[in-house]
Amino acid sequence: MNFSGSILLVDDEAHIRKFISLLLRHLGVTRIFEAPNGSVALEVYKKESPDLVMLDVNMPVMDGIETLRALKVLNPDCVVVMLTSLANRQTIDEAVALGAANYIRKDAPPEEIGRALSDTIDTCFEPDEPDADTPPA
Amino acid sequence: MDDPLSHTSIDLKGRRILAVDDDRINLRIISGILRHEGYEIAEAASGEQALEVYATFHPNLVLLDVMMPGIDGFATCRTLKKTYGDKCAPVIFVTAKSEADDVVMGFDAGGVDYLTKPFRPKEVVARIRTHLSNQQLVEQQKDLVDQLSRANAAKDRFLGMCAHDLRNPLSSIRGLAELMDENAIGVLTPEQREIIQTIHGASQSMLLLVNELLDVATIEAGHLKLEKSRVNIVDIVERSVHLSNIEAAKKKTTIELVKLATDPIVNVDTNKIRQVVDNLINNAVKYSPRGSIVTVLIHSNGKEAGFAVRDSGPGIPENERHKLFKDYGRLSTVPTGGEKSTGLGLAICRKIVEAHHGTIGVDNIPGRGAEFIVSLPLIR
Repeated sequence: MNFSGSILLVDDEAHIRKFISLLLRHLGVTRIFEAPNGSVALEVYKKESPDLVMLDVNMPVMDGIETLRALKVLNPDCVVVMLTSLANRQTIDEAVALGAANYIRKDAPPEEIGRALSDTIDTCFEPDEPDADTPPA
Repeated sequence: MDDPLSHTSIDLKGRRILAVDDDRINLRIISGILRHEGYEIAEAASGEQALEVYATFHPNLVLLDVMMPGIDGFATCRTLKKTYGDKCAPVIFVTAKSEADDVVMGFDAGGVDYLTKPFRPKEVVARIRTHLSNQQLVEQQKDLVDQLSRANAAKDRFLGMCAHDLRNPLSSIRGLAELMDENAIGVLTPEQREIIQTIHGASQSMLLLVNELLDVATIEAGHLKLEKSRVNIVDIVERSVHLSNIEAAKKKTTIELVKLATDPIVNVDTNKIRQVVDNLINNAVKYSPRGSIVTVLIHSNGKEAGFAVRDSGPGIPENERHKLFKDYGRLSTVPTGGEKSTGLGLAICRKIVEAHHGTIGVDNIPGRGAEFIVSLPLIR
């Protein structure tokens, strides 16, 4: 995957974080931050300013939608991809309306998650960013 | 749990009867007879009073004199029926004359029976017992139906919750195993690889089962929501054929698509219909010998359009045909490559197709194999 930025991964379930982070590493992402809930995620975001946030929808303490709102207040341009399990149409629509870039089914096979993520990266980040391998044609 | 149907002889002691009569002597006689039977009695001397007492006493049965000053028995009965509807206790009219007109009017007003004065105690007791028993049985039946539908809803909720909570951990296990198999954390030894592939296979088939259970629970609970749009049926089928060919190649099986000259447009939930196509193609691959050809044919007759999936498996045993589209309806035929089967796939297909007002059926092909045909209403 053609992405040299950093990713903040937010999910309350440790096995999901383990799985997605291993997948990200496998795809060549080297800078990965993790947070088990929304409020920790906001702290990490302020400190590390990751390029992309992967955000679980259902979390205790502070859920994905609430966290997304707070993130957009911190940085209206931050790129957020929602992580969903059983896609709840309403929640997805709400997230997209709030400025989420995309949503990914975290129960999908790794290659599908990888493809969805790289699609998002292709649309949200300029191809001529400094670390890109090849300049645009 | 208390089983309401286990009482063979019904205990009616303590059932409440409201006796209404403007004649105090009559009232005393009837109350005496009924109290002796173990019933709880409330008395009212007029229609107006009867309505008042009914509201607080909640009787199981009303004995209602027809001729009374003020509102008479028929009017009182009509008011009760209007106020309490289906929940109103049965009303038995008490009349001095057993004239046919009176009796008919009484039934019209909503009465279930009538008694004539002077009372014959045995008759009174027998009739009242019959009506109270009936009423109690109806109540018990309603309770039972309520209980059963609550239990069924709880089962669906439970099934849905279980499946839902199992999905995430299972997909993590599957995903982690797959990544390890792809050497994401380093090259594996042959034994490690074999183990990790076993974990991957087991979690994959569990995930399939859980997803199917969840589908069934969702559909059974009436939560199947279709997000319909106008689509070319060929597009849906073509994509499934393409993706399934990758998996089928492992069995050296090829899936061929036979299109029509025109593309039929249907109004369907693409994801759900895709699930049906995938399922039928997977089944065809699953039950056909290695290296065979599965044919998918698009059909359209101007009213309906759809697709047929033709395999070269053993066909559907005639004596097991009835099980085919039912929940957990596994047949005696076995997959040719050791694939797993939950017995839910075709039941889900049927439910999805029927939700679209379509049909799904199967025919055995005389030479060899089975053909599953799905038809959906066509947009013209």
